[in-house]
Amino acid sequence: MIRIRELNFTYNGTERPALNKINLTIEDGHFVLLTGASGGGKSTLCRVFNGLVPHFYGGKISGKAEVQGMDILKTPPKELATKVGMVFQDPENQLVTTDVEREIAFGLENLGYPKNLIARRIEEALDTAGIAHLRFARNNELSGGEKQKVAIASVLALHPEILVLDEPTSELDPQSAEEVLRLLERLNDELGLTVILIEQRLDRVVHLVDRMLVMGGGEILADGRPAEVMNGNIAGLGIGLPPVIRLMRELKSHNAALNGLPLTVKDARLRLQKVLQNVKTSAFADAGASLEPVLNIDKVWFAYGERAVLKNINLNIGRGEFIAVMGRNASGKTTLVKQLNGLLKPTKGRVRLGGVDTRKSTAADLSRRVGYVFQNPNDHLFADTVEDEIAFSLRNRGVDETKITKAVEGMLEEFELGRYRKSYPRNLSGGEKQRVALASVLVGQPEVIVLDEPTRGMDYVLKKKLVSYLDDYRRKGNTVIMVSHDVETIAECAERVVLLSEGRVVVEGNKREVLAKALLFSPQINRLAQALSGYGVADTTLTVGEMLEQIG
Amino acid sequence: MPELSYRDKNTVIHALSPLVKLAWGGGLVVLSLIFNHPVYILILFLSIIPMVRLAGVGREWASTLKFTIWLGLSIIVINALFSYHGDHVLLTAPFRLPAVGQPVITLEAIAFGAVMALKLVVIISVFSLINLTVHPDDIMAVLLKMRLPYKSVLVTSLSTRFVPCLVEDMGRISDGYRTRGVQLDAGGWFKKLRNRGKITLSLLSNSLDRAVQVAEAMEARAFGSGKKRVFYKEISISRLDAAALGVGLLPLAAGITVRVMGYGDYQYYPELASIGGGTIEWALPAIMLLLLAAVVPLAFLKRRVELD
Repeated sequence: MIRIRELNFTYNGTERPALNKINLTIEDGHFVLLTGASGGGKSTLCRVFNGLVPHFYGGKISGKAEVQGMDILKTPPKELATKVGMVFQDPENQLVTTDVEREIAFGLENLGYPKNLIARRIEEALDTAGIAHLRFARNNELSGGEKQKVAIASVLALHPEILVLDEPTSELDPQSAEEVLRLLERLNDELGLTVILIEQRLDRVVHLVDRMLVMGGGEILADGRPAEVMNGNIAGLGIGLPPVIRLMRELKSHNAALNGLPLTVKDARLRLQKVLQNVKTSAFADAGASLEPVLNIDKVWFAYGERAVLKNINLNIGRGEFIAVMGRNASGKTTLVKQLNGLLKPTKGRVRLGGVDTRKSTAADLSRRVGYVFQNPNDHLFADTVEDEIAFSLRNRGVDETKITKAVEGMLEEFELGRYRKSYPRNLSGGEKQRVALASVLVGQPEVIVLDEPTRGMDYVLKKKLVSYLDDYRRKGNTVIMVSHDVETIAECAERVVLLSEGRVVVEGNKREVLAKALLFSPQINRLAQALSGYGVADTTLTVGEMLEQIG
Repeated sequence: MPELSYRDKNTVIHALSPLVKLAWGGGLVVLSLIFNHPVYILILFLSIIPMVRLAGVGREWASTLKFTIWLGLSIIVINALFSYHGDHVLLTAPFRLPAVGQPVITLEAIAFGAVMALKLVVIISVFSLINLTVHPDDIMAVLLKMRLPYKSVLVTSLSTRFVPCLVEDMGRISDGYRTRGVQLDAGGWFKKLRNRGKITLSLLSNSLDRAVQVAEAMEARAFGSGKKRVFYKEISISRLDAAALGVGLLPLAAGITVRVMGYGDYQYYPELASIGGGTIEWALPAIMLLLLAAVVPLAFLKRRVELD
């Protein structure tokens, strides 16, 4: 059991408390979801459970915190390791050795367990995590999902009573994320392990957990069963409800026959089937393809050494379009978009930007016309202050200082970064860094903006702001190209979807043609619409708004 | 640069104790440094070939050789251009240099450069063979067996483990600069140096972040728990391994003895000495070759014992 009373914690060098008067009890065997806006204190609270806060990080702490009867404030993490296992966000930076078997043995070796016991625990952990086939695999050859499973196995081997996971799926593709979550469900269900999971994508987990905690500003803002929390007043909690729940909340507000809140598409379907009547047929008016081409990808092949990653890609992208590029991991998405700004040049074929062959320019030259936002904001941050970071590319072009100051001020205001103008960019939180990265690229007003997985690990509020900004940017006549796995965001904002597989475009067209009726890449609302098509609901419905038009 | 990381393969060389391979390889490196005689250096080189073939890493080794040959050629060329010793002048420059006189290219300087290049080939081949056939964690286990402090060995092992991440980080950060309009490879050397310096700072910052995360993950898994650490995959030395280790070290011991006896040296200047000599001058290299190759039958024997 975890018991926390009046806990306050402030990191060294900061004024604002990261945890403020936390009172919390978590019973054994529960599956608890911890969510909320970035910088709200979720990761800090999780690190209290195994003593990393305060023992590893330092800082001012007061109040009481106990885990399985041990006083956390007096017990260092190494002594809590057999009580609380912790899995971190980045699969790369938590693996210490070079192969799977040694990785699992690492903690057991540290505890000085006898070799025969270590051997037994390795077997158990490999089987429990379902990775026995990876036993002798090298860590650097594993996929992100496999690495997370190895990390889970390596803490399971210590036989913890509580498993804490800090956004373990945020760096994974949807299939890998699904596998990791299924494993957690099994650990909680069959072994009775207490699981505490930080997660932003509620649609993935709300149906799995017993309890949902929402944090913000270092406090617990909401606590209860998921359906209760999401049925209540969520304004100000900084969480994004899954589309199917948003839909049901809307419908419930004027349909007394709908009770409770469904957590899955199936549950929603069964409830709606009972009350569905007066469905209005709706024809969705999607924006047509732009006639003015800006990018032309002509028979492009690209290979790393002898391995072909792009195979005969043909695409025309018009001015003012919002295009989403989807596909499994390693399907060639990032390699494709890196062709657009000259970071990579085709091995065969041509990419033309406004009629000019990209092979004749450098990436630095093309950056004036094509902005590129990397997945990891750290890859953008070089300067000493936020305002210098935003001004960087303009200064590099030799733009007049008065114009730079005006442009920087505009970006600071647009992305709500004014209070951080003198801060060191790398010291900011993940969401704040993401905003600085975006501002530093968009300040140059490129006519094409490419974003590689911009919403991965982003909280709901930030995601909403980003989508709204990109939509405005597109309406000004610019082109937005976004690589993403986030099918719900794509359904809301993209017009055209390109689906890649094994380096080839397998489907390309209007988002409705690609996302509706798809098995894997369809949004929640479309899965519901498909099931309700017999009642007159259009099976091409993609968003909550479209569904409400028909059945609201 | 060719890929030189360990690949698990089911070969007799991979199955050989890492201690034996390290002793054999280390011996070869020392011998290539203490011998100057071309016959001995050639023998050292030849002894690597069966090991490479049996380990099934011929392709990787060949790609290393391609890279090393360029280095070797540059050693020969530089030595020929700047070492004016030797009586057999092959080419004389039509000008004089202050303090040096008239530059000449001599047969002796080329021969000396060629043997130095072959030494380099031997050393790089040994390193690639060890890299390709010894698991990095086994190297760590061997160092622990040699009673080196665990924390120092772990830090070394972690640094090696994160080298590929560092290379990836560098690529991404360079791309980050390019997409913000920086021509990394344009301008004078000072500008290039300044640009590269910026990348190094970002790289350092990323590495520090990574170090904190790794430390956190280790702490959460009871690192430094105060209990006596157990090594699950400790290198165990069977009698056969001990014998193989002895055989692995034998060439080194024999080589040192040969050098102490005054053999294995060679005179390049002012003119090349005769390669041949008496029976002992030919017998000693032949014995060295046999000793160096003795590790091969032992590897087969070990496999056979394991299968039995």
